[in-house]
Amino acid sequence: MEYLIEGATDIGNVKGVNQDSFMGKVIDTNQGKVAFAILCDGMGGLKFGEIASASVVQAYNEWLEHNFKYLSEWQIQEDDIRSSMTNLAIQFNEKIKAYGRERGISIGTTLTAILMLSDKYYIVHVGDTRIYEIDQNICQLTKDQTLVQREIDMGRLTYEQAKTDPRSSILLQCIGASDTVYPDFITGTTRDNCTYLLCSDGFRHKLSDEEIGFYLQPGNLLNTVMIEDSLKNLIELNKQRQETDNITAIVIRTYN
Amino acid sequence: MLETGQLIDQKYKILSQIGKGGMSVVYMAINEKANKTWAIKEVRKDGVLDFESVKQGLIVETEMLKNLKHNNLPSIVDVIDDKDSFLIVMDYIEGNPLNKLIEESGAQPQDMVIKCAKQLCDVLGYLHSRTPAIIYRDMKPANIMLKPDGNVVLIDFGTAREYKEKNIADTTCLGTVGYAAPEQFGGQGQTDARTDIYCLGATLYHLVTGVNPSEPPYEILPICQVNPSLSKGLEKIICKCCERNPNDRYQSCEELMFDLEHYDEIDDVYRGKQKKKLRRIVFFFILSIIFSVVGIALRIVKYNQSSAAYAMKIDEALKSNSYESKMNSYLDAIKISGQNGKKDSYLGLIQTFKENDYVFTVEEQKILVKAISENKESILEDPNGYVEICFELAKLFWYYYDYGNVENNQITKMKSAIEWFDDVQKYATNDYENLVMANVYGSIGKFYRDITINTVEANDKGIYKELFVNMNQLLDFVIEREENSEIVILELLEMIRNSLQQYASKFRGDGITKQEMLDIYQRIEKELELITPTTDKTQSMKKNTSQYMQDTKDVIEIVFSKEGVE
Repeated sequence: MEYLIEGATDIGNVKGVNQDSFMGKVIDTNQGKVAFAILCDGMGGLKFGEIASASVVQAYNEWLEHNFKYLSEWQIQEDDIRSSMTNLAIQFNEKIKAYGRERGISIGTTLTAILMLSDKYYIVHVGDTRIYEIDQNICQLTKDQTLVQREIDMGRLTYEQAKTDPRSSILLQCIGASDTVYPDFITGTTRDNCTYLLCSDGFRHKLSDEEIGFYLQPGNLLNTVMIEDSLKNLIELNKQRQETDNITAIVIRTYN
Repeated sequence: MLETGQLIDQKYKILSQIGKGGMSVVYMAINEKANKTWAIKEVRKDGVLDFESVKQGLIVETEMLKNLKHNNLPSIVDVIDDKDSFLIVMDYIEGNPLNKLIEESGAQPQDMVIKCAKQLCDVLGYLHSRTPAIIYRDMKPANIMLKPDGNVVLIDFGTAREYKEKNIADTTCLGTVGYAAPEQFGGQGQTDARTDIYCLGATLYHLVTGVNPSEPPYEILPICQVNPSLSKGLEKIICKCCERNPNDRYQSCEELMFDLEHYDEIDDVYRGKQKKKLRRIVFFFILSIIFSVVGIALRIVKYNQSSAAYAMKIDEALKSNSYESKMNSYLDAIKISGQNGKKDSYLGLIQTFKENDYVFTVEEQKILVKAISENKESILEDPNGYVEICFELAKLFWYYYDYGNVENNQITKMKSAIEWFDDVQKYATNDYENLVMANVYGSIGKFYRDITINTVEANDKGIYKELFVNMNQLLDFVIEREENSEIVILELLEMIRNSLQQYASKFRGDGITKQEMLDIYQRIEKELELITPTTDKTQSMKKNTSQYMQDTKDVIEIVFSKEGVE
């Protein structure tokens, strides 16, 4: 499998700092090409949200370049990927918590990362960043870990009510502010000629799934420049619609 | 930042830093002259973005806290406005916060949790009964210090209220907002005493199970599902504290305290039930055979005997002078077999509870409601008797119920009465003399119960007119029939006055004319004049209503002047 990766971010209309951090790259390993992308949406006053999200992105980058490359020199097992990806999240929850405690503040970040190896993908997920799979259809691979999503699941809130619920910005857990963090780990088969989108909540509040699916059709994304243009257009559209949050998205486009 | 060894206000010498919060640092200090240790909380002016706006709130709040005195609260002795910081001097509490205890040793022993629960309930009740009521809003293990003597102290009072509101404009994590009750997220009603009760329930849950309610499954489960050896009684209490709808929770700390004090009785009832179940089946099978033979013969004799015993008990109650013995005689009368359906004992109890101190307490409520609901079937053999009991009980709730000094006591009184007025409607025959009155009471109660929901959903068109008509009608009834009870009349006059003031523009919107409003206003005025209070309580009730009469009239005038047009 071959991959195109490109990302874009914008501070948005209102906020003074961009607390989103992201990274995407393709590396060569003994098992063939591997695509990796991560997006963290930080929270906490002043510069602290940025520190939280950036430190987690950096940690996963190091993990990819060292631990993962080392692992991939042998026949790598799904269990190994699962434990090393989720343990890193659990480890960082403790680290960021300790950092905040020392300073008497509470900070945190979401974490959503995807690793694509041969024909499989592996996702580690904490918070409300989403991953979509887009070809003719658009399909959400992650589930938002928010209070509102949970209320919907329990049948106490309808999808329509959820849109205006004042609690929509409350996460069930995040890296750095939960006593213990329980990351979702999701696996599946990577499809050929398909768009995989990671996006922060700021990217999708004002866009419908249909719009996202329409603009990010694999057929429209033939090189990284086209991906970047499409993402920037969508970011502009968000800003025109008065989105107030930071806006970030990464695309992995698969082909053979 | 204060330095170790620094002398503050020529009195307090800083010893060490003992804690750190978002905008403050806490130090241990000693007053060397008095040889006493204090905690000093320093709110750094540079640590708060907009200190000046916070300061005013801080001053008001600390002034208020200085006046609080309670065993489970640290007392504030001094407030010092330094040039770089704001210093609050308070009791130094030795011990550990409970969150540390949970972290180190997991779930805490049930007995210890119950002990904490009672103390916390007591201190919350104390805060809620201040005027204006103080709602703590941030009950969690981290804010509770366990002292070496086993008592607890509620800390973190130094922060201004602005910091207690859950700010959720930005993304936040459940772990940081604490055990916020559903209504604390805004858009779902006001936070009040019942919000603290929710957070106390969540705290107890965390303490006794070791499971953090802000972690998966993000639900407050019945505690016995987590640990079957825990008390069923405590389980019931925690579940009731943590109901999503504030109306389903304990309505006050007094109610909660009553159950906490009797949690093991709730337990015994459960355990007893389990054991008895099997025994009962066998026992009753044999008994039923014996009884069917012997029973018929004995029944006639027995009835006459127990009937006489009943009459004797009622007589005893009537003649008795003390509250206690009156109550016990009536309760004994109910217990006499075959006599539990007779209305006199229940009506007597209602009368006793009312006349004792003109307050219907939570404890009395439990006794009475229990007696009635346990014997409902028997009482219903005479539906008219049951209707009479319901009507009297409903009025007892409406006018005398007191579950503590909480702001919206009035509304709780009405809400609690609704179900009994409903039963009057359900079981009364059409010719029952008080049927219309029960309907009117019921409608007014339901108005107050539903008003918040209806306004939110904008369904409130027309309901004010209905309220207005009902109030007029009730005033007619009450003046006509109950002129002997000054509490009833005063309560009613105040309720009407209050709603005139509060809903004047809504009444106008529903088509009530100025004249109609002034008519009822003048009636209140007249009735108020006619009353000569005989007790301190009624005197203060009269005074209270009188002092707002002019305001009420002003509101009516404004609503009908040009500026008042909505």
